[in-house]
Amino acid sequence: MAVDITDRQFIARLIEKEKAASRVGGRWLVVPIAVLALAYLTPLYYLFVTVFKTSQEYARKGVLELPDSLAPFIDNVVQAWNIAQLGQAATNSFSYALIGAALAVAIAAAAAYGMTRLNLLGANGWFMLIFTGTLFPFQMYLVPLLFGYQRVGLINTWGGMLLVYVALCIPFPLLVLRNSFSAITKEVDEAARIEGASEWRVFTSMIVPNAMGPMIALFLLQFTFIWNDLLFSSILANGIEVRSVMVALQSLQGTYSTLGPNVVITATLISSIPTVLLFIVLRKYFMAGLQLGTK
Amino acid sequence: MASAAATLSPQVMKEARRRERRAAWAQTRVAWLFIAPAVIMVTVFLLLPVVFNVVLSFTKWQKFTGLDQFAGFGNYERLFRLPYFTEALSNTAIWVVGAIVFPLVVGLGLALLLRNIPFQETFKSLFFLPRVLAPTAVGAIWYYVYAPRGVLNSVVSGATGTSFDFGWLYSPGTVTGSVIVTFVWQTVGITMVLLLLGLAAIPKDPIEAARVDGASSGQIFRHIIWPLLLPTVLVVTILNVAAGFTTFDLLWVMAGDYPGKRTLSLAVYMYYESFSNGAWAYGSAIAVVLGAMVIAVSAVLAVVQSRVSRNIR
Repeated sequence: MAVDITDRQFIARLIEKEKAASRVGGRWLVVPIAVLALAYLTPLYYLFVTVFKTSQEYARKGVLELPDSLAPFIDNVVQAWNIAQLGQAATNSFSYALIGAALAVAIAAAAAYGMTRLNLLGANGWFMLIFTGTLFPFQMYLVPLLFGYQRVGLINTWGGMLLVYVALCIPFPLLVLRNSFSAITKEVDEAARIEGASEWRVFTSMIVPNAMGPMIALFLLQFTFIWNDLLFSSILANGIEVRSVMVALQSLQGTYSTLGPNVVITATLISSIPTVLLFIVLRKYFMAGLQLGTK
Repeated sequence: MASAAATLSPQVMKEARRRERRAAWAQTRVAWLFIAPAVIMVTVFLLLPVVFNVVLSFTKWQKFTGLDQFAGFGNYERLFRLPYFTEALSNTAIWVVGAIVFPLVVGLGLALLLRNIPFQETFKSLFFLPRVLAPTAVGAIWYYVYAPRGVLNSVVSGATGTSFDFGWLYSPGTVTGSVIVTFVWQTVGITMVLLLLGLAAIPKDPIEAARVDGASSGQIFRHIIWPLLLPTVLVVTILNVAAGFTTFDLLWVMAGDYPGKRTLSLAVYMYYESFSNGAWAYGSAIAVVLGAMVIAVSAVLAVVQSRVSRNIR
């Protein structure tokens, strides 16, 4: 059978038919998937009904029952905030995450520039040295860092905690940015150099603006890592003035805690707000960041 | 060209070469300034500690003693003599297998289901959401999910009609499995997103052709989709293996009350011995064993990955 492929109407009908066929299968699948998604989100549903209950209400009712009113939420927030000193802890974590992630990405970008755009002798060797920092499990850093920090007095200090986070967050961004910078054409910086621009100038005004997308994605990933960290902060900075929000959250929880689940769960909600907000607002960059991790 | 070179005296040539070399050195020196912060930070805070960790594992150092006595392989002998280590090791093995298999199976199932449906982006975000939460926060929520009067038991009671108050996190038979379920709940989103990307990259033509030739869906998956998806599966596996070996936060937060918690995994055992017991040198030895295993397994996977990607091309 001869088909006239210049017949627009015929082609349009074919496409329409194909679309309809794929939609039929798709539409039916939505129902089981929606049910699955609801079951999947049950723990988060539990979180949202629990933050509105008083301790007595929690003890009396089924765990998944709706609360009587929304009012107890305020009291739960106040309790969690005061007992765990969440304000201090959240401020600490926010400063670690914001400054630490920004510094780490900046330092990694500078190093990536030195390795890809400048005539650096032994560039690969330097790269391998830093890349080695991604091979070892965190457990191998803990005892030596504790020992060293006690010796030089960095234990339980804001600066000491920040330094560890910066170091931990350098290797991966370097890995990614080395690739992004290599992809930028060399003519860009050659031209600027002939015009008499310094290397610093070329770096900040030619290369960095060209790699803003991956740099934002990397910043988000590192911010989330630092904000979510429990392991390093529980060992190196557990004093009230410098401890992280996750250490504060963990102190509320467990058998020795006399607090009701409603207060602990409220603290969980509060401590998750910054990263969840970032995810919602900058979802595009988050997803891009994930793909960075696989290349 | 030849005449131009002939007119240049060796003196001039040497001078030119020296100038060139000096220019190269000048750039290298600028480049050093650019890489110095990264090199110093990583060396001081990550690489030196690793070296020092290995050294420490051969000492008798404890919380309140000086760092002067060497123990040879004493710490390692003690590791293999005590039952704790073997137990922590076998639990870590369960974790590694669980962290490879379950996210892959569930993530692949979700990815295949979500491939061609309306509201795909919404569902993707929903399944991905737990990944954004901190493991400490997720652990705190799931601690109450598994509590005797928690969510899971209340659902089971509702479904069976008999009251149920099992302590999932207090029984040796269920504690590891329960925490692995939470781990999968939190991380399956990222596995699913990566697999969806891998599926989207598979060309449609061979699948159509096979279908026309009468191949069943199972055959198409086995002979076309799976081989082409294999590189993505390996990337996902590499990510999950590392997590399986080193997951700490979830276990520490969720199983804080479990009496045998020190042997829940090597990461937990290391933390417990070092920071709850103050046996720093012994903890270092556990960390060295853990590190050796992680690096060995990652190396094997990297080799497999390069083989597979070569075969695909």
